Amino acid sequence: MKTAFAGLTVRVPSVIFLALSMLLALSAHAQQPPSTPPSTPMTADEVNRQLLQRVIDLEAKVKQLEEKQTGSAAAPLAAAPAAVAPAPVAPAPEPPPEVEMPTVNEVAPRLKLVVFGDVGAQGYTHVPDTFEFGSLDLFMRARLSEKISVLGEVLFTAESDNSISPDVERLLLIYRLSDYFTASIGRMHTWVGYYNTAFNKGEFLETTTDRPFMYAFDDEGGVFPMQDVGVNVTGKIPSGKLGLNYVVEAGNGRDWYPADEPAQNNQDRNNSKAINGGLFMRPERFSGLQLGFSVRHDNLTLPGPAVGETIVTAHAVFVNSNWEVLNEAAFVRHSEASGELAETSAFYTQFSRRFRAYRPYFRYQYFNAPSDDPVYINASPNTDVPLNITTFVGRFNGPSLGVRWDFTEHSALKFQYDRFSLRGLDSENGLTSQVAFTF
Amino acid sequence: MKKYKLFTPVLSGLAMLAIFLGATPSASAGEAIVVVVNSANPVENLTLGDLKKLFLGDKGRWDTGKAVAPVMVVTGAPERAAFLKIVCGMSDADMGKYFMQAAFTGKSVTPPKDVGSAAAVKSNVAASPGAIGFVKASDFPGGTGIKAVKIDGVDASDAGYKIKM
Repeated sequence: MKTAFAGLTVRVPSVIFLALSMLLALSAHAQQPPSTPPSTPMTADEVNRQLLQRVIDLEAKVKQLEEKQTGSAAAPLAAAPAAVAPAPVAPAPEPPPEVEMPTVNEVAPRLKLVVFGDVGAQGYTHVPDTFEFGSLDLFMRARLSEKISVLGEVLFTAESDNSISPDVERLLLIYRLSDYFTASIGRMHTWVGYYNTAFNKGEFLETTTDRPFMYAFDDEGGVFPMQDVGVNVTGKIPSGKLGLNYVVEAGNGRDWYPADEPAQNNQDRNNSKAINGGLFMRPERFSGLQLGFSVRHDNLTLPGPAVGETIVTAHAVFVNSNWEVLNEAAFVRHSEASGELAETSAFYTQFSRRFRAYRPYFRYQYFNAPSDDPVYINASPNTDVPLNITTFVGRFNGPSLGVRWDFTEHSALKFQYDRFSLRGLDSENGLTSQVAFTF
Repeated sequence: MKKYKLFTPVLSGLAMLAIFLGATPSASAGEAIVVVVNSANPVENLTLGDLKKLFLGDKGRWDTGKAVAPVMVVTGAPERAAFLKIVCGMSDADMGKYFMQAAFTGKSVTPPKDVGSAAAVKSNVAASPGAIGFVKASDFPGGTGIKAVKIDGVDASDAGYKIKM
């Protein structure tokens, strides 16, 4: 028989018991069945004893859970699950699911594909206004092992006869031993100056609508050897915060026979190999700054007498998220066996500043080759500049002014005004628009 | 009196604006971002320059010879945006373009691995001897198999710590 006092002593601990059970259950995240209130009256000692036992049980289970979590974190990639069945404890809280973001353009487990393209329109003073196809660039990269990878680039461009033809722009087998030694073999873009290997064929990556005149591709009428077939070795030089790097290249060199492909893909015309070496530094103290130079020498086999060619370049560039300041200069010497010398000098300077999605830019470029240069008279027409090719052997200089608008993360619209002064010819004014994109 | 009344709403508005602006960053404003490496990695201190090189693929191996494997929370996490800005001087889009250009130029660099949460960052770093990641200070406790490293000799709990949200 329950007395009023006895009833009170039982009811109050029951409420406390329930509340404590809920709190403990919640705090432990243990999905335990709710405690069953006693169906029969208990004494205070019994209740206290049960509560104490309950707390001890819960503590033991919490400890088990903690041990389980610790074990799984310490060995998350354990190959085999524990053989012993776990104790019947409440399920551990599930960790947030790891979201593996898909690699962009990963078309196969090892192959990554990036496509660059550009289309546009241009109008110059002395040539008809025209829409232009630009290029379609398929860039592939695959890692064959931890240290070996392959790089391939196939380019589709419009030729001067309006046909569109494919061109294997680059094909390289790359072996990376460490930060200090990476070797590549195959068809490459040469490390002559900064621009050639910084932007390659990616118009989307370039601020301007075209390359500086001095770095126009040799199969598009440019005069510097921008492509070669051979080997390249590059890496860091232990130099602390100075950030020194080296580049050494050896290749077949450039073919100057007018009807031939400039890159000697299959057969060199002579035994002499083009040798190129360069140093550049990226000082840690000035993030974004790069200073460097390169020296290249080759013996050229020409329709006329053989010529020795030496190209020296130097660059000082500063690039960060907002600013782009590019400055490069080159000096070329062509020497004949007779002792005749022809010297060419060239430079460009380019500034741009990003304002949100807009990036206005300015570039001034200068190229001056002697009229009697024995090599450049063999150059083919330059498709980047719609002018008579005789301008190559001479002076070419002028400013370009433009703006780039990144209207999506992967596409940009560019407008560029050019004014070129040419030795012996009228000045040329041109307006170019270009949509460059990647996917 | 009239003048006072005119100024009252202005002052009140300014006060509310100040409170709002002060409150907007919330409790997480200024929260340190802890750089974590695998506990087996002997490195105890890194410079900001080191961090930039490690996350941008400019340094591919630790001094122990282990390959560097950076891990980050996915785009949209505030600590990611703050880390990229302070350490790399980049936005997310800049970093995407950087790695695209790096791959295009033939560099053997791999972008940091994106994972879905701070817990995943910690478990990835714990699982890989060469891994490095970062989490908010409030997400750091509880990780096993990882350790925090000092940046420029300063601990994340110190006032002079540079990587903060």
